Amino acid sequence: MRRISPIQRFKMMNPIIQLFKFFILSIKVMVIVAGGHGGTRKAN
Amino acid sequence: MSKIVVLGAGISGHVAASHLRRKLSKEHEVIVVSPNSNYQWIPSNIWVGIGRMPSKKILFPLAPLYKKKGIDFKQAKAISFHPEGDEKESKPYVVAEYVTGDKQGTQEKVTYDYLINATGPKLNFEATNGLIPGKNKTYSVCTYTHAEHAWNGLNKVIQEMKQGKKAKILIGTGHAKATCQGAAFEYILNVEQELRRHKVRDMAEVTWISNEYKLGDFGMDGMLMSYGSITMKSSEMVEMIFEDRDIKWILGAGVNKIEDGIAHYENLEGETKTILYDFAMLIPSFSGHGFKAFDKNNQDITDRLFKGFMIVDADYTPRPYEEWTVQDWPETYQNPSYKNIFAPGIAFAPPHTISKPRKNKNGTEIFPSPPRTGMPSGITAKLVADNIIDSIKSGKESLKHKGSMGNMGAACIASAGYGLLDGSGISITTFPIIPDYKKYSDTQGRHLGKTFGSIGLAGHWLKLALHYAFIYKAKMKPFWWLIPE
Repeated sequence: MRRISPIQRFKMMNPIIQLFKFFILSIKVMVIVAGGHGGTRKAN
Repeated sequence: MSKIVVLGAGISGHVAASHLRRKLSKEHEVIVVSPNSNYQWIPSNIWVGIGRMPSKKILFPLAPLYKKKGIDFKQAKAISFHPEGDEKESKPYVVAEYVTGDKQGTQEKVTYDYLINATGPKLNFEATNGLIPGKNKTYSVCTYTHAEHAWNGLNKVIQEMKQGKKAKILIGTGHAKATCQGAAFEYILNVEQELRRHKVRDMAEVTWISNEYKLGDFGMDGMLMSYGSITMKSSEMVEMIFEDRDIKWILGAGVNKIEDGIAHYENLEGETKTILYDFAMLIPSFSGHGFKAFDKNNQDITDRLFKGFMIVDADYTPRPYEEWTVQDWPETYQNPSYKNIFAPGIAFAPPHTISKPRKNKNGTEIFPSPPRTGMPSGITAKLVADNIIDSIKSGKESLKHKGSMGNMGAACIASAGYGLLDGSGISITTFPIIPDYKKYSDTQGRHLGKTFGSIGLAGHWLKLALHYAFIYKAKMKPFWWLIPE
């Protein structure tokens, strides 16, 4: 069943669009992953 | 002078040993005890399992690196724990048995001031009758050797399909309480893409079988996530992907027996069913290693150290699902009975699962165990190492570094197909890993801005970039410590 439309698929696989996405994704992942961690018991 | 012994050289053990060695002066000893001669970057096993990456690209020998960096390496397996020493040995120690070389089979008391148990899980194939990697047409991608066998098995089926034979491919979990659905999810998408690349997709019926109640549970109770400009459930996203790729699915399935090409399972309705296959990759259940522990009088104190996996600073009080909180989860991974023992990564005993426990009318529990792989393993190992370093330097116990999975983000960059221009990846981040239903009550326990999904070629590039970055980091090349866990 075709659940992803051709335009969406084009966006997902277009190297130029995806290159921008790669940089954005890398930054977003880095912010979340390296953005710190800590305990929960005192904070709450 | 302090002596720190690290059991295990997987992601967690290697991260801990690397940071300890970098931050402690040479007067302190860092010893790694592991039965494995190689370090392996496990997340890339799925590419070995589809024949797109040779295993030599995901591993390297540990001994030369440790020698160069001043880390003592014993290729041995831990046998028993003696946290009080014994009548002859006043210091705490572990008994390790060498697995190779002249000393093979000989046992040694390895004394320590601090012990990091990073032994990870035992791949408990025995828990499912007939589930043996490479036998009964079932395979695993849990290690690089398993993944190599999986590729041999898959390639054989692909060649048969090229000759006109139709095939059934089954991928998922091989036990009612297995975890690591993410790896199986990556593998099924990679296999599906390889079938298309080999032009045999129309010859194959590809089926996902899992102990999850819903698609996209991943052992994390599923998640609500941002997807582009909309908010989507992980179950909806995975359903969209599976339907788009014509992958069928069976959920709430506890696989309990494997025969040659036949998987027997029980479902949440209590029915007993079978499914036929020509190739299966099923993740086994994980368990502790069955270590024993003894006090100085040689009395068995295993229950003070282990509850399957190692007991740490979690709240293990049994409570119903509705009363679970993020505060149940450990922060420092320190054993409460012996303060110089820590268990980061997969080696610690979780207080409970993350996914809602479910039982069928026959009393069979079918739900995923909590995943603790990859990134959280590295983070928890580093914070344990940092606390030990602070304690050594200050001369008193320091536990200022904390990292609960209830206050930690994770990224799952799932490969959905290999290829520089035709590859794909499904990038999912989640914060926190353990849903905090009090703090984020209207977004299913997660911070929506930090929990998102994305599908596309960029995800594949990111996974590939992470592969090279983490191998570089693991090899402790210049400035390796700048790469976060």
